[in-house]
Amino acid sequence: MDTLNLEIITPNGLIFDGQVISVTLPGEEGEFGVLPRHATLATLLTAGVIDIEKEDKSIESIVVNWGLVQVDETKTVVLVDGAVAIHGGTENEIAQSLEEAKTLINGISDSNVAIAAVSARIESAAQRLL
Amino acid sequence: MANLKDIQRKIKSVSNTQKTTRAMKLVSTAKLRRAEELAKRSRLFAEKTNQVISEISSRVNCHKIGGIDSRYFETIEEPKMIDIIFVTADKGLCGGFNIQTIKAVKKLMAEYKDKKVKVRLRGIGKKGIEFFKFNGIELLDSSIGLSSAPDYDKASEFITSSIEDYNDGKIDGLYVIYNGYKNILTQELHVNKLLPVEVTTDCDEISDSLLEIEAEDQEKMLDSLVTKYVEYNMYYALIDSVAAEHSARMQAMDAATTNAKEMVKALKVKFNKARQEAITTELIEIISGVESMK
Repeated sequence: MDTLNLEIITPNGLIFDGQVISVTLPGEEGEFGVLPRHATLATLLTAGVIDIEKEDKSIESIVVNWGLVQVDETKTVVLVDGAVAIHGGTENEIAQSLEEAKTLINGISDSNVAIAAVSARIESAAQRLL
Repeated sequence: MANLKDIQRKIKSVSNTQKTTRAMKLVSTAKLRRAEELAKRSRLFAEKTNQVISEISSRVNCHKIGGIDSRYFETIEEPKMIDIIFVTADKGLCGGFNIQTIKAVKKLMAEYKDKKVKVRLRGIGKKGIEFFKFNGIELLDSSIGLSSAPDYDKASEFITSSIEDYNDGKIDGLYVIYNGYKNILTQELHVNKLLPVEVTTDCDEISDSLLEIEAEDQEKMLDSLVTKYVEYNMYYALIDSVAAEHSARMQAMDAATTNAKEMVKALKVKFNKARQEAITTELIEIISGVESMK
């Protein structure tokens, strides 16, 4: 299957590097998905959730507070400021990463609507894990 | 003999110091490894950001008449006031680490004073702050604790007011001075000009990538990116400085341990000499006593 290389970089280092089937990003003007051989583009990301569909079809969600993405045909590079991955084996771990993600989002946005929208997205990402 | 006791006491105190310095060296070695790792991981973000910034800015610069509107990229001919942020350690005992940074700050200040430019100093790190306070040089802002435990959020918080002042036109330049890590034996002084951002104006050299961005988006992106770029550079200065601090301290403590060792050696020789002298004197006394009895 066709895959693209995805790199997610934070000031503290590389947090994701690998081949993925697709990735959904929270663009400034709305969510958009990137598949292999996507046309080149560069745009800003807002606070939201990045959904990564990995080669084994599992989905990983990473919550970010700001970002910039550079897409070309084989590679997608995402620069983010703060990021929290929603993962964990047990309910407790998931709940904990959920909490972290929410503090990250609450820290950057003043508008309650935005926080609520992102929080809902986070919750549904967590639901999928359970 | 009092002299013997004195020497003994001295030997003991020097070897205690040696123990301390050796422990400090070990601590710094461990901390250095961690700091170095952090800096290495973080460098990737810098590379990518710089790459994107230079790519977009040069495109905008070349395709738009009059260049970029943003003040971030203007070349200011006659600056009136600039900000200098310096990063030193919170603790001493690391050789010339702090004083090097302080000297560089003073040099840059003098340069700008000659040009009749006002300089505002903002300091991170206790040692540098104390130095300027002692010398009666006013600091606009200071932060203690940040240089020993770098934190991205706190770093960006610290630099934000400078970015805002730059945007409002209050200042015309922003420098960050810190002593960075080069390798385990050497530190390298960095004097970084963060604002205004310098861009390549050579339009021929632009790589013709297929980057497709709408023109109005480009500038918005640049603005957002530059803020992050400046914030990130501040953070990087802090982590680089921590790594350098530990490597400097490691060296200083290593030298101190060696010196202490040599001192103990010299003192031991002195001690043995003094003991032998005492024995000889005593023997002479006994012998001359016996002689006089005859």
